[in-house]
Amino acid sequence: MLFNSLSFVVFLVIVLALYYSKLFNWTSKKRMLLFASYVFYGLWNPPLVILLWISTMVDWVAGKKLAVEDNQKRRKLWLMLSMFVNLGFLAFFKYRDFLLDNFTTVVNTYGYGYQTQPMDIILPMGISFYTFQTMSYTIDMYLRRTERAKTFLDFALYVTFFPQLVAGPIVRAQDLISQFYEEKRATVNQFIWGIFLLTLGLFQKVVMADTLLSDAVDTVYGSDKILNFWDAWMGTLAFSGQIFFDFAGYSTCAIGIALMLGIILPDNFKYPYGSLGFSDLWKRWHITLSSWLRDYLYIPLGGNKHGVVRMYAALMITMLLGGLWHGAAWTFIVWGGLHGSYLILERLQRQYLPFKITKWNGMFLAFTTFTCVNITWVFFRAKEFKTAWNMITSMFYLNPEGEKVLTSFDILKVGMVIGLLFICHWFMRNTSVEAVSKRLSPIVLAVVWAVMFFLVVISQGSGEQFIYFQF
Amino acid sequence: MHLKQSLIIAVTLVIISVTAWELFWRSQGVYPTLDDNEALWANQRARVEKATNNDILLMGSSRVLFDMQLDQWQEQTGIRPIQLASVGSSPLPIFHDVVENTKFNGTILVGVTPGLFFSTTNPDAQPWQWPQSKVDFYKKRTYAQMSNHLLSIPLQKNLAFISEDQGVDGVKLKELLGKISIGNRVVDSMPPFHAFGEIALDRNLKMKQITVTDTAYANSVIKVWRFFMKAAASGPPPDKASTMAFFLKDLKKFKARGGQVILVRCPSSGSLRFGENMGVPRANFWDDLVKQSHVKAYHFEDYESFKNLKCPEESHLSGKDAAYFTTEIVKIMKADGALSNSKNN
Repeated sequence: MLFNSLSFVVFLVIVLALYYSKLFNWTSKKRMLLFASYVFYGLWNPPLVILLWISTMVDWVAGKKLAVEDNQKRRKLWLMLSMFVNLGFLAFFKYRDFLLDNFTTVVNTYGYGYQTQPMDIILPMGISFYTFQTMSYTIDMYLRRTERAKTFLDFALYVTFFPQLVAGPIVRAQDLISQFYEEKRATVNQFIWGIFLLTLGLFQKVVMADTLLSDAVDTVYGSDKILNFWDAWMGTLAFSGQIFFDFAGYSTCAIGIALMLGIILPDNFKYPYGSLGFSDLWKRWHITLSSWLRDYLYIPLGGNKHGVVRMYAALMITMLLGGLWHGAAWTFIVWGGLHGSYLILERLQRQYLPFKITKWNGMFLAFTTFTCVNITWVFFRAKEFKTAWNMITSMFYLNPEGEKVLTSFDILKVGMVIGLLFICHWFMRNTSVEAVSKRLSPIVLAVVWAVMFFLVVISQGSGEQFIYFQF
Repeated sequence: MHLKQSLIIAVTLVIISVTAWELFWRSQGVYPTLDDNEALWANQRARVEKATNNDILLMGSSRVLFDMQLDQWQEQTGIRPIQLASVGSSPLPIFHDVVENTKFNGTILVGVTPGLFFSTTNPDAQPWQWPQSKVDFYKKRTYAQMSNHLLSIPLQKNLAFISEDQGVDGVKLKELLGKISIGNRVVDSMPPFHAFGEIALDRNLKMKQITVTDTAYANSVIKVWRFFMKAAASGPPPDKASTMAFFLKDLKKFKARGGQVILVRCPSSGSLRFGENMGVPRANFWDDLVKQSHVKAYHFEDYESFKNLKCPEESHLSGKDAAYFTTEIVKIMKADGALSNSKNN
């Protein structure tokens, strides 16, 4: 079920009515939330709820054993079981065809003439999110960083909690499970702020991503022609806006919906296009994934504790796998590799060419970071390397006679939206929507809120899927 | 933060602005209509799963949608057909889907618009891609999509601004922005295209009366047909060999399980008919299809009663003429024994 759909409106109203009714005690309310979460997921594809159940069962049992087991060998085995099942799901459902393709290519270079048939198995929605979330629980249990979930119901709800089930934020056990132990009710202000965040998230998705930017992206990246400089840049800038608004919109909706239930979810985006460099970017973009990768991949790989070479290797491996997490294609790996390279170059610059960031050079640095990020988006969005390479050559003015596919109004529209987005991120980088809202008069906030809602209504999102669902 | 105050003001402003928006569009002559989208088509396709050999499926392009009126068909036969035709489409993907993926063995009326029927079997070409996307949607539709569509029906029926119409008739924000034009950086030579039909829940479609009464409106649609004819003339030629082979293979399988197919060539007129005669002449295409299919076939030009039918925009019949055409052609079919499965026979 999508947040930007009529079914979800009805679903949410029913869930909220049941949640705040006096029919149930807290345990029954949690059961209701769990059931609602399965309905939320199952309305997309009922049989794939079984995967959620398996993941929940395996990690519950593994967590239970890890809580009482002292034998290090056995503890490792329980951890391996959890990793095997969760990563096995990912390997089978997400990476199977990719692995098979590459295997075929490799063996055929030795002249074997091996043929394979793509299995065309559906990718379960949000599988990368909930498998990472449940794995964080067992890894934390293994490392004794978190307490075992008190009941199976609390754990199952942690795995399946519908606001963040299919596209995050990826929440750590200690941050979410403990919230289920005692009855939660949103205060009136929390509830209203939750509705505001839901409106803001829908505005980002339906108006900004789908209405204002998606067509320019599809036109540019759907073209099989060598494009003009302006079209290539505008299509890529439009994608940088589309993916931000799409994903940040989902996260904002999720945080808002959870808040309406009295549950606090962590921020996932903090104005990433106002970042001063790439380390800063990854503290602001998809924060819950980057912190997951830092804690469960980069640090176990050695982090910065074993010398410079090991640190750079760990950084690059983390970013390459981070790229692969987004999609089973070499273009995503290149995207991760570029970010890994940027991070390494940034560290080298800090070591050999340090400079102080002032308010004067800060904006230039943010603009440079944003420009470099846009180059990586080309590989993220392009379906194949040929398209990506054509885009890159066009963006660097190597195809001066390239085809024009965007109208002047498209260019103006994308330019204005992305320009405002960048300026907004720059000025908001050290604050938050909540802090700014507190400074506004209630009438101004109401007008902003009404305008966003009105634009959502007249945009009539036709239920376009969120981009990150495919990951 | 005085959030309660903000919420009350925001809700009031939203109610006022949305009401004003609806009233504005109604004052501009826009009224609530249903969208002929994939979900609406899929609901009819789902009916095929339970259809008996008494039932009739209608397939083809927009001409079958406009020209075959379900009320008149039902009056004549006692059976309300299942309307599966799709605008701008070859009937082959949908016929293939029914033959391959259902056990249906009743009657299928296949509308033959030669420029579309014989166009292509290339899955990436529009006449194939559009109907195939409907078939794919039906196969993959989720419960959430079904309930979204169900919930959207009352809104579509009652609010003018809820519309998926695109281009010149579009009222949603994306379409309104799409109408803004600055300079001529990219030339779009496609003339403005009105949505000149209104569809019902069972996909019975009627031409909007404005197409009949307003010549300028009808001419704007004719300009679009001429644009497509010009584009077709400079594009690849009809792929008669592969389209015929594809259809005949499915037809053989369908007949083998007791199904019956009727071919119908619906009316066209004016310069469009002239263009069709040039590009896809009857003798080479329709006559050959009929000869190789060995099924009942009806071409509008073969009947005196249809000689005076004139399409307001050269390709589809007005609501009144469509009702007449349906009544008469069903009578002809019945007299010919083509509707042997229908209850009245």
